[in-house]
Amino acid sequence: MDSVTPRIAFTLFGLPVRNTVLATWVAMALIILVIVILDKLKPHLLENFVEFLSNLIGGIMNLENVERYLPILGTLIIFIAVANSLGAIPLLTSPTSDINTTIALALVIFFAVHIYGIRANGVFRYAKDMASPIFLLPLEIIGQVSRTISLALRLFGNVLSGELIVAIVFSLIPFGVPLILMSLSLFIGILQAYVFTALSSVYIAAAVQISEN
Amino acid sequence: MNTLEPQLLITVVTIIVTGVGIVLGTVIPAWVEGKAVLKALEGITRQPESANNLRTTLLISMALLESTAIYVLLVMLILLFANPLLDRFF
Repeated sequence: MDSVTPRIAFTLFGLPVRNTVLATWVAMALIILVIVILDKLKPHLLENFVEFLSNLIGGIMNLENVERYLPILGTLIIFIAVANSLGAIPLLTSPTSDINTTIALALVIFFAVHIYGIRANGVFRYAKDMASPIFLLPLEIIGQVSRTISLALRLFGNVLSGELIVAIVFSLIPFGVPLILMSLSLFIGILQAYVFTALSSVYIAAAVQISEN
Repeated sequence: MNTLEPQLLITVVTIIVTGVGIVLGTVIPAWVEGKAVLKALEGITRQPESANNLRTTLLISMALLESTAIYVLLVMLILLFANPLLDRFF
């Protein structure tokens, strides 16, 4: 358990910096580097990739102007996929195996849902839809909070369980066998990035598309 | 009958509960997910043109079903590695 829980790497101006934060910086640097290099050398590959992401998210959302929501959702899927895959590199851990990272991502989605909903419908219409009929308002609030918590816990639990299983199998059979489980956890990491983004797009689409009656 | 120390008793109960709970928490979601996949596959074989739509819905619902197993895993990990009850008596 100690090998997969985050630990403090160093302190910066009196603030403790965990190794998952370091891995987050590595992920950010990696994404920026790859995109800058691709933009210089093969720009059409980048265009194809953005087109692919737009089709993927547009297929889930079923809205007219998906491009409005593409920046946040595309960033989410790229960052989570890279962050989940970082655990396979030696000396690095997945940033998402720390619950603070996943709670931060889920909070971003929690606020984005309401901001996009208010921007598309106006404050009064959005609040009226949330409280119609009025006695369902507490249930609606509970639903909003609990789905945010479940978004965070799902990503955290999947990534942590993958790393834990690899660590346990490594302590039993250290040669060769953990590779199979590592490839499985890589696949699950990519799948969870898709699932996180798909659920966020469903939530945003539900907040933007308010029924007419 | 000689009495157990509370710390030992809590540890034994925790181990038993974790074993039983992780089995129930993985078997039941796996069974329900199997039923969901079965229905989706039946739908795809009946109407292959709706396969894309069904796949997206299936993946999202599978993630929602899978999260119950993840909750069980997290609770069991807390019980095993960071049991809050062990500190209460000492």
